[in-house]
Amino acid sequence: MAELSLQHIDKIYDNNVQAVFDFNLDVKDGELIVLVGPSGCGKSTTLRMVAGLEDISNGKLFLDGKDITQTPAKDRDMAMVFQNYALYGHMTIYENMAFSLTLRKENPNVIHKKVMAAAEILGLTSQLNKKPAQLSGGQRQRVAMGRSIVRTPKVFLFDEPLSNLDAKLRGATRREILLLHKRLQATMLYVTHDQTEALTLADRIVCMSMGHVQQVGTPLELYDSPNNVFVASFIGLPPMNFYDVKVVGKELQGNGFKLALTDEEKATLNGYEGKEITLGVRPENFTEGSDIKVTVTNNENLGMNTLVYGNVGNTGVKVTAKLKGWKNFKVGDTAGFSVMRKHFFDKETTNAIRGDK
Amino acid sequence: MSRFVKTEEDKLISRDRMRFVKNSACSNLCYLALLFDVFYFVLLYRQDVASYYYTVQIGASIVYNLVFMLIVFMCSENVKHYHKNYSYVVLAAGIMQIVRIFVIPTRAHNTVMVIKEVEQAVMDDWTYTKAVVYLVVSAAALIISAVLNYTRCTALEAHVKSLEKTNA
Repeated sequence: MAELSLQHIDKIYDNNVQAVFDFNLDVKDGELIVLVGPSGCGKSTTLRMVAGLEDISNGKLFLDGKDITQTPAKDRDMAMVFQNYALYGHMTIYENMAFSLTLRKENPNVIHKKVMAAAEILGLTSQLNKKPAQLSGGQRQRVAMGRSIVRTPKVFLFDEPLSNLDAKLRGATRREILLLHKRLQATMLYVTHDQTEALTLADRIVCMSMGHVQQVGTPLELYDSPNNVFVASFIGLPPMNFYDVKVVGKELQGNGFKLALTDEEKATLNGYEGKEITLGVRPENFTEGSDIKVTVTNNENLGMNTLVYGNVGNTGVKVTAKLKGWKNFKVGDTAGFSVMRKHFFDKETTNAIRGDK
Repeated sequence: MSRFVKTEEDKLISRDRMRFVKNSACSNLCYLALLFDVFYFVLLYRQDVASYYYTVQIGASIVYNLVFMLIVFMCSENVKHYHKNYSYVVLAAGIMQIVRIFVIPTRAHNTVMVIKEVEQAVMDDWTYTKAVVYLVVSAAALIISAVLNYTRCTALEAHVKSLEKTNA
């Protein structure tokens, strides 16, 4: 059982640069939380504060209700997996995995049992007598995970563990981490800048920008109901299209296009009549239709889907559409699109406009 | 349960551990034997009775020490990786350390010479005792290492065979 609670956490460095602002999060037992955001947003700093590798400037950190804000890293009962594996090159895989327990002077037979169990889980049994240099990147990362598993810590911390792997291996290792989480049912905090990892792994995602938490929610919540323009642009690939539009009666007037609003959408935009807002449309929410005429600038076939890039008429307003099937638009062709789903954001605050306003 | 009382499961795990953990105990015993051999020859070569020791015997002793150190070092590396045949070499080296007690120290202890115009034993009682202790400790370390390595290697071989049978 491990419940983690971060309350009003700030990180202010000695040079008065603040990296994390008022971070609040309650992690339930067995939950996999992914901290996601661009480089420099404070996600790794937050993880390092949880691990005890960085001091917490303000706020409190609780593990199972116990205040561990000032507890040294070695006494926090957390295991961290780093991007660069941090394996000992002169030791075998077995020795690497057993190392932390050997330092604790555990019974050798108990160590053996734990190492063998972890190796079995991670499919490393046949590699135990090898040195790290003899393994692939993915296998090395599994060893790093194995070293954490044998400690049976209360919380697992992952700091961009897949960043050093190639795309194919990253996908495979990601699935292994997911299986591992299902098998161990352990509380995990996972840091990544890759939104695909965040969406596929997380029970809940914490999206961060400039040291601030932008949104906490399930992957579907972040994808489907982003809190603001930042979350909407960060989650989803290709990113969401944004347009400045004006609410006029039952339609939205943009630069070179007009879109009709449904009654529900009109109700959502109640109070914005005559005002400018930001319209967000995910590329996959475009279909072939007649609402927006686009001059095609590029056509990328991905097999099941086609990415069509273009400009609205001759305006220079860019459109990225992800259409189902194999399309063969040529540069300069005019394509007609309809919008299946719209997201609305306040132009000043960049926050999402929800129906309750 | 005391850590010295081993259940069948403990024994099985200990055997399985040997597949991944080096035989450091046997290897370290070899190093211990080397250390006490060094103590022995330093003690011997510090004896200030040149007329007795300057014979072909001392030359042979020096050559033997060099060969001994080389072989025992090589054995320490091999027993570390559970090479069973090196048990016999280590055992032979241990027996030779016992034999060496009777080659130089005992004979020197039993020989009386006029040294600095005084008639006395070439090797006095205290030096003789120390020389014997060094050689006995060195021999004991080697013999224990040999027996332990042989036992462990045999157990490991049997364990690996049983695993292969299970997997087949």
